[in-house]
Amino acid sequence: MKALFRAELLKQRTTRTMLQLPLWMVGLVVLVVLLHVVGFSVHDLGSRDYQLKVFGWGTGVGSLFAALLGALSITGEIRHGTIRPTFLATPRRERVIAAKVAASAFGGLALGLLAEALAAAVSSAGLAVRGVHVALSGGDFVQLLAGGAVGAALWAAIGTGIGAVVRNQVGAVVGLCVWLLVIETSLIGSVSSVAKFAPGASAGALAGAIQAQGATNLLAPALGALLLVVYASLATAAGSIAITRRDVT
Amino acid sequence: MTDQSHPVVSARGLTKRYRDVLAADGVEFELEPGTITGFLGPNGAGKTTILRMLLGLVQPTVGEALVVGHRYLELEQPARRVGAVLESDDFDPGRSARNHLRALALAIGASRGRVQEMLELVELEASANRLVRTYSLGMRQRLGLAAALLGEPELLLLDEPANGLDPAGVHWLRGFLRRFADQGGTVLIASHVLAEIAQTVDQVVIIDGGRLIATVRLDELADSPHSLEGLYLELTAKASA
Repeated sequence: MKALFRAELLKQRTTRTMLQLPLWMVGLVVLVVLLHVVGFSVHDLGSRDYQLKVFGWGTGVGSLFAALLGALSITGEIRHGTIRPTFLATPRRERVIAAKVAASAFGGLALGLLAEALAAAVSSAGLAVRGVHVALSGGDFVQLLAGGAVGAALWAAIGTGIGAVVRNQVGAVVGLCVWLLVIETSLIGSVSSVAKFAPGASAGALAGAIQAQGATNLLAPALGALLLVVYASLATAAGSIAITRRDVT
Repeated sequence: MTDQSHPVVSARGLTKRYRDVLAADGVEFELEPGTITGFLGPNGAGKTTILRMLLGLVQPTVGEALVVGHRYLELEQPARRVGAVLESDDFDPGRSARNHLRALALAIGASRGRVQEMLELVELEASANRLVRTYSLGMRQRLGLAAALLGEPELLLLDEPANGLDPAGVHWLRGFLRRFADQGGTVLIASHVLAEIAQTVDQVVIIDGGRLIATVRLDELADSPHSLEGLYLELTAKASA
């Protein structure tokens, strides 16, 4: 298993697409955070809830890109046909999925940490420019960084599982983007009592990030973490079953 | 290399149904160690499906496919027994040839030295660090062969391996396969280029419409490639009539 994990890590760091992923993520984090820092009034920005929302965008974007990393790790192989040599080398396909989940979670952890650290740095700088005092405690920062990293790692597993089920690269990427950026954000605004159990909101809860207006009733961090582990396990199992049952033509 | 008393490949009633299409219909054949077998048939005859069933990528609807005595999925280290090139372009275009081979080598437990050896064998060491997107079809074919050989297999399954090779490349491939078989290795080459096959193989397995229609040893046939062509055309015409 260790050799397979290393093989998957090597694959991830040796393609153009995978190397571009962090660059896109950095761009998106900076853009989103700056839009919020510029868009909110100085009064709003002064409150801890708003600041958690702005700082917390790192978790949301980090989770999204970690999910994309996971999804690309399998759909890229299907798209380019490398899935054939991969399964010839390791015919027990659930082992390949397990190695991909582990490698993507590892990469996702790094992406989540990078995204949240960047969000925190840009937010702090932006607030300073607008003359707003940062109301977050050291504990808040620790939770944002650790929760953002762990949440993204688990989202990478979700992305891998979904990629293995969907198989189509564009479908998986668009689906994940729409789910996290459109569906969950609108659900959390309208029916937060239910939507707080969704996987994106669970990652937000884990990091203590408030993701949208009216969503002050996020789950407790531990419950968010637990739910996210359940989602990641379900997605991994579904992906493993789907990829094992289907013929590779 | 292999126990002489057992066939290296054994297709036992291989049948594959895709909805209303029978891609393979009760195909039976065996390959003896140290032989090169041409796998012939018109486009859509079922060659590709049968190769994938032998390799555990496609699950047979009925029947059993054994390679080196086992189902592929049950082999402990399959890439150390069996090598295959199924498509000429199973590469990530944004990855270098060396990294493609290194990732596979990690998965099958082959050394970095083996990666270098294979790059040299297929004469790609000078362009090994280039992205595969810059490769010609012939270079991709050779890279595919290098990947198949990483685990030092005793059985090679190749689908149209000469496609895109220049005449020197085809000549090299023939020589390589002959040496491979002379050392006890077994080769199955799917192809529709008869002339190429006739000069390389010991026997041919001909299929059409998913069915085995003939297994012919070339030394039993008159010695010109035309006779194989004549036989092939006659058999496939009869089968589709």
